Amino acid sequence: MKDVVIIGCGMTKFARPLPGSLMDIASEASLKAIEDAGVGDRDFDALYFANMCSGEFAHQTAAATALVDELGLIPAPTHRIENGPAGGATAIREAFAGIASGMYDLVLVTGGEKMSTVPGAVVTDLISTMLHHEAEYAHGATLPGFAGMLTRLYIERYGLTENQLAAVAVKNHENGSKNPYAQLSHKRCTIEGVKDSVMIADPIRMYHCCPVSDGGASVVVCSAEKARELGVKKPLIKIAGLGQATDTHTLQEREDPAVLKSVQLASRQAFKMAGLKAKDIDAAEVHDAFEILEIVESEDAGFFPKGEGGKAAEEGKTALDGEIAINPSGGLKARGHALGATGLAQVVELVWQLRGEAGERQVKGAKNAFALNFGGFGDNSVITVLRRV
Amino acid sequence: MSEEKKKMIGFKCKKCNRINYPKRARCLSCKGTEFEEVGLGEECELLTYTQIYNPPAGYKGDPPLMLGIVQFPNGVRALGQLAIDNPKDLKIGAKLRPVWGMLREVSGKEVFGFKFELAKKQTPKLK
Repeated sequence: MKDVVIIGCGMTKFARPLPGSLMDIASEASLKAIEDAGVGDRDFDALYFANMCSGEFAHQTAAATALVDELGLIPAPTHRIENGPAGGATAIREAFAGIASGMYDLVLVTGGEKMSTVPGAVVTDLISTMLHHEAEYAHGATLPGFAGMLTRLYIERYGLTENQLAAVAVKNHENGSKNPYAQLSHKRCTIEGVKDSVMIADPIRMYHCCPVSDGGASVVVCSAEKARELGVKKPLIKIAGLGQATDTHTLQEREDPAVLKSVQLASRQAFKMAGLKAKDIDAAEVHDAFEILEIVESEDAGFFPKGEGGKAAEEGKTALDGEIAINPSGGLKARGHALGATGLAQVVELVWQLRGEAGERQVKGAKNAFALNFGGFGDNSVITVLRRV
Repeated sequence: MSEEKKKMIGFKCKKCNRINYPKRARCLSCKGTEFEEVGLGEECELLTYTQIYNPPAGYKGDPPLMLGIVQFPNGVRALGQLAIDNPKDLKIGAKLRPVWGMLREVSGKEVFGFKFELAKKQTPKLK
């Protein structure tokens, strides 16, 4: 297998709404990544476009074909990658496979979503269609409802406190306030503010949930040999490890519904491939669509023992200057969650962190990084481990 | 009221005896493709629950929508709406039973299925 590196990245601000069409958002992110890589005049061997709901939100299908045209990259092959909200990480995985196999040398991977076009209740319903159609969706189950049930089970099992859960949101808002691309960059919050926020799906409150977002993010992926040939000036960021695993489609059928087994399996794969251990990771972007997920994911990925993720967050172990900085971007909670763009926004943040370009939210000396993108609610987990070369 | 008598069923794999719920093309444990329908029973226990204050489009009841995961004595678990009047009765470990009813509308059509109610319904006190 050839070594595969990321040589350029860029993203739009996440917002609700963001002006412009889905294509405007995706092309802005793409052009920033191309410029950052210094390959403005180059043709690409392929373009992958990660997007979950172009048909439903933007009334546009075959969106990858539209994007390759918009970017003047014809005749590069392209297709849309839909894997629930894990399309972004999945697209990076596809680019890796194409380059590592020797089929491609230079690939553009872009994610974009325009969610603000439809009312909130419709967004909730469309996202709920990710759940098992007969056994979950038909019953009125929603993603916040799943988070509520997981939180209650986790509290019963491990004694998570309200303050511990709130600490995750406070930390992510604090990080987001230092990120100019974050949707909620203007909003810090306090433990009391989180605990007083409106109930969404008890015990889940508003400040335990990510917002609905428009946004785009993009990376230029390249073989290490091609990167040397191109004379890339910025530090090369190697895609050192990949992991992906699935679990039962319904939450109820998991061996233990309070454990994210797909995260455990995918993390082990990714760490093994990278030759690293959880303790080697300096910065991690995890899929905190709900703050309970950051806690459970941080345990199942191996950063903390089972049942101690909440305590770790409360003690500041996951802060920018903690043992491992989790969600330095602000995470889905504060940066925002634009479905197909999210997995790419996670990787863009980590590339900045590994290059030392993350400004006020820089994790000092970051060398190894970890991204976890969810394609459902624990039934499809995609992990990317990055390393500064 | 024949609908009152509907029974919740699981799908027991004829090869390895795992009861699959919901139904699938191949057994999760052994990839078997032949199943026998078996009743899941009349009593189950509440494993976890939530009250959804922003129910999805198509849910016709008043918020919050009570939703939970139950476990039957044979280990099979199911998700469903909780037809419980008083939120104080919502407790992990509460004894429940399946009851057939309308769940919501999807694409303008009514969808029916099993909800769960308290196994021992409290008789309202006369005032």
